[in-house]
Order: sequence, then structure tokens, then C-alpha cells
Amino acid sequence: MSALADKTAKARADMAAKTAKADKAAETADPADRRPAARKPGRWAAPPRPVWEEEPAKAGLAGKGVALGFACFAILFPLWIVVVTSLQTKKTIDEAGGLVVVPRSITFVAYQELLGGGQVQRAALVSVGVTLVGTLFSMTVSVLCAYGLSRTGSLGHRWILMTLLATMFFGAGLIPTYLLVQALGLTDTYLALILPSAVSVFNILVLRSFFMGISPELIDSARIDGAGDWRILWKIVMPLSRAVLAVIALFYAVGYWSAWFNASIYLTDQDMMPLQNVMIQLVQKQERPVGLAAQINTGQLSPLAVQMAVMVMALLPVAVLSPFVQKHFKKGMLTGAIKG
Amino acid sequence: MTPNSATPSAPSRRSFLASTAVATAVVAGGVPLLSACGGSQEGRKEGTTSGKDAKKILPTFVASNVVAPDIPSKNGSAAGFTKAIPTADLKTSVPKKLGSGGSLKIMSPFWGTPPKGDNPYYKAMNEAVGVDVTWQNQDGITYDQKLGAVLASSDIPDVVVVPAWNLMGKIPSAINAKFADLGPYLSGDKVKEYPNLAAVPSEAWQRAIFGGQLRGIPMPGSYVTNIAPLYRRDLFGKKGYEVPRSPDAFLSWAKEATDAKSKLWACDDMKWSAFHIYGVFPGGDKELWWNLVDGKLVNRVETEEYLEALEWTRKLYAAGVVHPDALNIKAGGTAGNRFTAGEVLVYNQNISDWWGKTAEQRTQNPDFDMAAFDYFGADGGDPTLWAGQPASIFTFISKKATKQQIKDFLALCNYCAAPYGTKEFMLTAYGVEDTDYETKKGLPVKTTQGVNEVNGAYDYTGNPAPYVAYPDLPEITKGIVEWQQRMGAFTRKTPFFGLTITEPNRWANLADNFEQLEDDTVRGRKKISDVQQAVADWKSKGGDKLRDWYKKLLDETGSAS
Amino acid sequence: MSHSTVPRPGAEAKTPDRPPASGDAARSRPPGEKHVRRLNLRLRFRRDRTLILMTLPAVLLLLVFNYIPILGNVVAFQDYDPYLSDNGFVAMLESPWVGLEQFERIFADSAFWHAVRNTFVLFFLQLVLFFPVPILLALLINSVVRPRVRAVAQAVMYLPHFFSWVLVVTVFMQIFGGAGIIAQTLRQHGVDGFDLMTNPETFKYLVTVEMIWKDAGWGIIVFLAALSSVSHDLYEAAAMDGAGRWRRMWHITLPALRPVIALLLVLRVGDALTVGFEQLLLQRSAVGVDASEVLDTYVWWNGIRNQDFSYAAAAGLIKGMVGVALVLVANKVAHLMGEQGVYKK
Repeated sequence: MSALADKTAKARADMAAKTAKADKAAETADPADRRPAARKPGRWAAPPRPVWEEEPAKAGLAGKGVALGFACFAILFPLWIVVVTSLQTKKTIDEAGGLVVVPRSITFVAYQELLGGGQVQRAALVSVGVTLVGTLFSMTVSVLCAYGLSRTGSLGHRWILMTLLATMFFGAGLIPTYLLVQALGLTDTYLALILPSAVSVFNILVLRSFFMGISPELIDSARIDGAGDWRILWKIVMPLSRAVLAVIALFYAVGYWSAWFNASIYLTDQDMMPLQNVMIQLVQKQERPVGLAAQINTGQLSPLAVQMAVMVMALLPVAVLSPFVQKHFKKGMLTGAIKG
Repeated sequence: MTPNSATPSAPSRRSFLASTAVATAVVAGGVPLLSACGGSQEGRKEGTTSGKDAKKILPTFVASNVVAPDIPSKNGSAAGFTKAIPTADLKTSVPKKLGSGGSLKIMSPFWGTPPKGDNPYYKAMNEAVGVDVTWQNQDGITYDQKLGAVLASSDIPDVVVVPAWNLMGKIPSAINAKFADLGPYLSGDKVKEYPNLAAVPSEAWQRAIFGGQLRGIPMPGSYVTNIAPLYRRDLFGKKGYEVPRSPDAFLSWAKEATDAKSKLWACDDMKWSAFHIYGVFPGGDKELWWNLVDGKLVNRVETEEYLEALEWTRKLYAAGVVHPDALNIKAGGTAGNRFTAGEVLVYNQNISDWWGKTAEQRTQNPDFDMAAFDYFGADGGDPTLWAGQPASIFTFISKKATKQQIKDFLALCNYCAAPYGTKEFMLTAYGVEDTDYETKKGLPVKTTQGVNEVNGAYDYTGNPAPYVAYPDLPEITKGIVEWQQRMGAFTRKTPFFGLTITEPNRWANLADNFEQLEDDTVRGRKKISDVQQAVADWKSKGGDKLRDWYKKLLDETGSAS
Repeated sequence: MSHSTVPRPGAEAKTPDRPPASGDAARSRPPGEKHVRRLNLRLRFRRDRTLILMTLPAVLLLLVFNYIPILGNVVAFQDYDPYLSDNGFVAMLESPWVGLEQFERIFADSAFWHAVRNTFVLFFLQLVLFFPVPILLALLINSVVRPRVRAVAQAVMYLPHFFSWVLVVTVFMQIFGGAGIIAQTLRQHGVDGFDLMTNPETFKYLVTVEMIWKDAGWGIIVFLAALSSVSHDLYEAAAMDGAGRWRRMWHITLPALRPVIALLLVLRVGDALTVGFEQLLLQRSAVGVDASEVLDTYVWWNGIRNQDFSYAAAAGLIKGMVGVALVLVANKVAHLMGEQGVYKK
């Protein structure tokens, strides 16, 4: 939960006396918190209501609970099916006639096969590599640029900023960009997956406005101590901006991890394809992973479990990482978001 | 776009036959030659090359007679080899390693799942040829989408395999611009340095003349259509089904056989078959789209038969007898997987799948049995079939390649073109003994590894005259050749048969969207009237002028055969 | 986080527009130079060269990948033949000029107009069906008082935003496709043929639902922030005056959201021609061209797939120009409405 919401909630909590009285109606209405609430009432219970607020109607609460529950269910249920099916034996899947909702067995055979070398493992490594290198590169370029633009009076500041901003309103178009990448000889290299999309002006603006919010006194005093801009950026600005750096890094990383279009038009070599592209082949086009084709086609492995396992591999890093950064989202988004 | 009824998928070397007899047919036309419509000699030429002009370029034919086929070619079929030859009796056709040890990067379509790059089969082949080949295997179904992009880039792979049905849009002019002339290495008697290539029939070579120069190494094939409707003979037997004998009978059988509840559908996408059943002119190469009807050139898309074929396929989809997964992908996609999984009873594919799927399945499922059934006509009588080209896949080498690379390339092609009965053939077609295949009761039988690995790739870089040779499954060899012979009896040729034609650039993109339109129509997303509208647009945007252009070409050059 | 950071649309945009010399924010100057109003160029360069150097990599990347390709749009006025030379630039120089011929071809192509129509249909559907969802979700979440529940709900709702389109589309296939869980269940009960993924009739709704699934949760962030900026005293005072739950929402909550809603609306309209390129491309073969072709995919198909570069570039150019015009118009409207818009007047 965002820091902001935390604060608001705390403020409300402070406003009234601390009588953690569980609201039974709300509890039944919202299945999401039923179980944990029983165990740790202190953290899950509703803070007391401000005195001026009327008691909520039961129907209203139930309605809210249902709506919230539905939203979460709609998001989590498909993921559940995917994860569960990827862990089933061929027999279970055959009995279920396809996707499995209720797990009846657990086996990691699909993952073992996929990670035992071959196309999918390779593609996963490619994706990890491109994501790491790309994120590092993008962050370096963006942080430098954001800092370079963080002093409004500096020489060329206005022009450079305009150069950046203008790109947010027009694009060169797919075809000219494609022709350029080709003319630069970037086709069939990983650079084609990184360079054209390395800079997000939006992200730079977010970083910049955050940097601008850092206390000028702090920076001035460092300068008096003889620190140059590089040192100030490294020793003062960046440590103070960890939260926003984490958010922007996540944005970049997710961008690289999710990208498939550039690979589909710039790469020829199948061995270079990132995981998303392999997922298109295996799940959308129902092709067989290299090295496992015969096993699947002759019925030793369930094609469905293998497909689902590929999907899990694609969603796992994102699903694991993003909640950690989540509490910083608001900070990161707000500063720049609105300006779009 | 691949409006290819003629030659869609996975043409494997094994599906083509080796009749040395066919070879002499040569550039039969003999009509003087010509290259229509001029254009500069340096390779961006429109039109075609035949007759005397072609003769100057074509390699001399030198037949090779290693083993006589057990089933000789007839009606344009391949020759069949059914008897296995013990390893000890295999001949040697490439006595001395011709490769220099250099390396080549080859981009090639691949139908199915390509193997890992460093597998024992590839290693053994590279070692035997003396060239270090790196394969860039691309999905064969969507190869057209990749090809244009790759050819437009400044850095193309050393060698590129191009199926004839991908010669759409500006691809032919790209080929003329980007690939080397092999004439200096192969024309006339020069080919004798590569004896296996010298045994490639001249009509196949004739097809490899692009923009006035011999640019490609052709993969010779029977001109009888290689797309066959394939059915699960085992499941048909179990249920007591008879093979339907007319489009209507097929539809009503399909309704009866479909049982979606138990995940069973009668068929997959049958568009390619429909074109044959209704006698539509071939959809492979664009020059075959044209046929003379009452002295006037008519394009396949203008015919009633074309619409009827689409309508019938549409009915199949509408009746719910087509596997729902077929809706998601381009025709041809992964139908084979659904077929072997027992989810569909009939699909259409290159007839070599008959052997391919059987060999794959029998390692685990000994009861698996399939076969091709004969085409029937629209009225349930004899079909009218149209000849495909005598070579439908070509391999080119980049203009930027060094002399040494070109020689290495030819060494590779010469090796892969070794005929049945040689050591080179066994390695190319069956892989490494004891790894990719085992000799059981005197028959070479592929292992699971062999099924995975020995597939595609070296199939396209050089081939002998059309042949079918599956000594491990002689019944299937026989079945395929006999099917070709029966179908061959109904097969006729269109006027541009045997020629390779480069259309003028301004009309090159004219027919690009028909395949997409066909798929949308049969799947019920567009109406037949949309096709008619598209044909009208095609005519007004240049189709009629293109007709005149072809007519002039025909009057000037005559046909190849 | 203090309430002051809450979205004041456009507030941030002021800085760039301030003329550097007059608007010098003294606070960011090194102390010794505070009093200097104007420095000569050389001194300023010496002072700021590190900063300029730092911006260089990003500026270079933008120049190369965003500005130079703009020049490439000249192929729209040519009959560009990529095979004329191995070098794309040389090929461009050697290709014949054809004036507006490509544009004439495009305007005469019914497929183009079809793509235009699909683009607008999808845009309006998104406006009507997608746009309100994050607002409603934000109000819903905002009314949940338990911090833990809020945290969990937000974590779940943000999640799909970080999934790739490939994943989202394949997840939908597993639910609504012909082999998906719904079709599977129905089939076991004797109902056959359920397949939303390949149904062109319902495709536009499917696309919108996919979009909601992926991004509606993420969209609530902005609204939540706006909501949290509303002082509780206001609510309390209103409650004391006897305003009920709904009246408070109407008179306090919604007005607080108004500027944000207006701004996002303007942004969306300015971007009307972009309606989910990757998403549509991924489903193209499943549902057919008729239902899925929009301007972006039309450019892709004709350029990348058919290698008809000039034609596709011309179509892209049309889209780009109309896009810029839309941004300008939308912004103008925002100004007229008294909102800040994307940039300042």
C-alpha cells in the first residue's frame, strides 16, 4: 500500500480512540480479509470510524465487498489456473479435459524439461540478460539526463528540455524507424532490442522533478566542500532518491521484459529470441518447444502443462518484483504522471 | 502472402523423386527464348528466360545411376525406393571432401520444431561436407513475414532458402538484387565438378533462372501436387468410416464424425485440399495463377472454382467440424500436432507427412496408422488437378559471398544432392547411425532423437531428381508414389509451367492480400462477396494490365514445356 | 508523502517554459554566483558543462531514434525500393520520387478506411467502457478503511499492468478461447462452440475488456492520490451540516477529481489514433483482419509484411499528422474549459 494511503489511514486511526472493534458486517462482506483477520486482528481490523461518520449500511458494505472481491478474483483466477495447470501431471490434465482448476497432483516435470536446456531456457536467459543490461543502460542515461536538467538556470536547459518534450507529442512512425535500425546495421543484434527504446522521456521527467525536490541546501553545502556534480549525484542525490529510482528501474525492467515487437521485426535468429516471442510461438501458435517436440507429440508430456509453465516463467519475475516496489509507486507516478 | 494451394508446407527431400528419366525433358519448349519486357541485364530484370537463352545458362545434365528405383516414375510421380541397402553396400558419390572448412550462415524455413543448433546430426553433416553451417531456422508457416524484412536489410545471411510460394510482392526483385550468379560455377560443363548437381534435372534448373541468371539451387520435385488430404486410417477403421468421395459426402461425414464433447473434430483447415477438389489453378508461384481459357488468360482468383472452393471450406468451418484451434492461426499451422493427438481425423499437408508422422508416432504409439486419400472432383467424379512447378524451393547465396564461400556452398549442395543408395544420402536423410537411426532387421529406423533432429535443414540445400525413399516403411513409400501416379493421371499443366517469372515492380504487391482474405473468408469473417470485391479491385488496380503483360510474355516466349 | 505533491496538473510543466535567464531559480545556483543575473555564455558553459555532458547520451539517443527517422518519412513521397542498394540511405537517394501518388493510393483503398473506422470505434469504446473504471475502483478502494485490505487490493490490482501483452492475450485465451476453461466446461455440459477469442463480432469488446483487466487497476493510482488530498475537515464539516454519504461524495469527492479526470480525458483524446497496437497485432490471426485492423496494424502489414515501405510510411505519416492535430485541439479545448491541459498557454 502506498505511503500516502498508509498515512491517511493512520491519521484516521489517530483521530478516534484505539478500540479495535472488529466490524462483523464488513468482515463477512470481504472474504479477502476474513482469515487473517481472525489471526491478527490488530493489523487487519478496521480502524475506528470517525465520530461524524454514520455507521455503514450492511448492504453497502456487502456491495463493496463483493465488488472488491470480484475485481481481485477476476485478476487472480486466470493466474491461478495457469499456475496450477503447469504443475499437473499429464494424467490429471487429461482427466480434467484441459485446464485444471483444482490441483490434484503436483509435479515439476514441465519446468524440469523446459529448464533442462533448450529453447525456453535459452529464451529466458536472453530475456534476463536484455532486461538487466537494458535497465542498467536506461537508468544510467536517464539519471544522468535528469540530473543534468535538474537546475533550471543552466545553459541550454530550456532547449534540451524542449528536445525531450517534443518527442512526447510525435513519433517518427514505424516504417522510418524500422528503416533506420536496418540502415544502422542493428538488425539481428541485441542492440536493436535496447537502443531504440532505451530512453523514456516520461521516466526522465519523473526523475528530474524528484531530483529538483531535493533540498538545495544539502547540495550547496556539498559544493562548498568541493564536490563536483558527479560526486553530488552519486553521493547525495541518488541515495536520497532510492524510492523513485526503484520505481523507474522497475518501469524500465518491465518494459524490456515485456517487449516482443522489436524482436519480432529486427531479429532473425531463433536462438536470439526472448521469452515473450517464444511464448507467442508456443502458446499462441501452439508450436512445440525445441528439443521437446517428440516427447510432446508422442504423448509423454502434456503440451498444456508445458505451455502454462512457459507462461508462469514469463509472469513470475514481474509478479514477484512489483509488490516490493509498490509502496513507492505513488511517489514516482505522481510527480510525473500527470504531465504525461 | 502465400496463396499456395500447391506447395505449402514441409516439402521434405524424401517426398520428391528421383527419376532420372524425367530429367531429359529439359527445357523442352525450345521456343526461342526470350526475356520479355527488357530490363537491364544486371539483374533487376522483369520477365523470364527460356529457350536458347536458357540453354546458354543451364548446367549440362549428366544422369547418375546408383540404384534403379523399385517403382519407376509414371504420370509425373517421383520414383520410389522401397528396399533398404545394407550399410556395407552403400556407394560413395563424394569421394573427396569438397568443403574448405569455411563457414556459412543459412536462413531456412522450418516446418515443425527445429532441433538445437549443436546437435550430432548437424555436426556430422558439417564434418562430412567440410563446411561449418550455422542454421537459422524460421517458422515455415510465417516465413513470408520474415523473408522480406531480412532481404531488405543490409546484412543478409550468406545463404537463404526461398520457397517459390513466398515469391510474392517485391521478393523476386530482391532475389535478383541480392543473390549471386552461379552461372560461372555451374553453367554448361562446369557443373561436372559437382556430379550430384549435374544429375539434377534440367527442368528444375530452368526454374532456378532468376532475372536472367542462374541464381538458385533448385529442389526438384514431382509436379503432381504435394498437398494431400491425410486421414487417420486407424481411427477410421475403429469407427467403421469410409473415406468420403465427394465434397457433399465429406461435409455430411464430417458432421457425423465430429464429437466436440470428447475433443474430436472431423478435420482441420481444408482450404488447400478444397482448391484441388474444385480444380482451382495452382496457388504456389504467381505465374501458375494464370491459365489460358478459350484463348484468354484467366487468373485463379477470377474463377468460379476459386469461390466454390472457399465456399465449401467456409461451410466446414460453419458446421463446426473444424478443430477450433485452426481458427487461431494461419492455415497449415500446427494441424499435424492435433492430428497425431487424435483431435482431428483429417488434415491436409505435404504428403511427406505421411511418413514423417508415422515415423514420429511409432516410437510410442505402435497402433498409429494414417494414409492419404485420393482427391475427388467437385461432383464426386475425377478431379481436375493442375501441375505445380518441377522445383518449388530454391537456395541462394549472397552476392557478397566470397568465391571460396560460393564453392563451399556448392560443395554442400553437391553433398546433399547425393542419390539414394549412397553413404551421403544416408547421412543426409537419416543422420548418424546408432544416434539418429538404428538398423533393425536390416531396416534403418529413426530414433526419437533422429525424428527430432533429422528434419528440414539439409533437405533444402541440394537434392537429387525427385524420389521417395523410406526403406524403413516401404508400404508408405509405395503408398506415396502410387498416390502421385493416380493423381498425376488427372494433372494438367498451365501455360507458364516450368518458368520463373519476375513481375514488374509496379504490380508486384497487387495480390499480396489474397491469402489473408481467403483465410478470413473460410473462417466466416468475410463474405464471398468481399472476395469478389477484392477481385474487382485487383483488376482495376492493375490486374488487367498484368494480364496483358503476361499475354505478351506468353506470345513472345511461348511456354517452357 | 505530503499532500502537496498531489497532482496539480500542469504544475510541473511550468518549469520548462520559464525563460532560463530571467527565471533563474537562485536556489539551485552555486552560492557564489547567486548575485549574478546574467553570465556570459562562456562562463555559463564552464559552469554547466558537466550538466550538459550528462544530458548528452539521452539527447543523442533521442536524436538518432526519434528525430533522424522523421527525415525517413520522405520515402512516403517516393516509390522506395529497399533492394536498390545494401545501404538504406543510398536506396532512399536513388528511389524515384512520385509526389503524392502513395497518398492517392491510400485514400482509394477501402481497407484503409476500414482501419480508420475500426480505430475510432475502439477509441470510443475505450472512452466509454474503460475510462470510468479506474475512477470507480479508486472510489471503492478509497472507501475501504482497513489499511491491510487496501494494501492487498491495490497490490492485486496493480499487478496486471506489469504483464506483457503477450501474457495478457494468452491468459485471456486460456479463459475465453476455444480451448479455454469456459469452453471446456461448457463442452463437458454439451454446449459446443464457445470461443470469444475468435469471434469478430465481439472482438471490440474483448479488446476493451483485456485493456480493463490489464490497466484499469493501475489507473487508480492517480485518482487515489487526488482523493487523499481532500482534507478530512471538509468531510467532517459537511457531515456536521447533515450531508449524507452520497451528498459528500457528490459535493466534495467528485469535484476533487475533476481536474484529473479532465486532464486524462484530454490526453486520451489526443492519443485517440493509438488503440493498442501490440494487443491487436497479437490477435490478428485469431480474429481476422476485418475486426482487428487499425491504423497502426495497417502500417505494419503494408510496410513490414508486404515490404511496401513507401505506402506504409505515407499511411504512418497521415496518422502522425492527425495525431498531432488532435493533441493540439484537445489541449485547446482543455484551456477553454479552464483546465491546465498538457502544456501551458
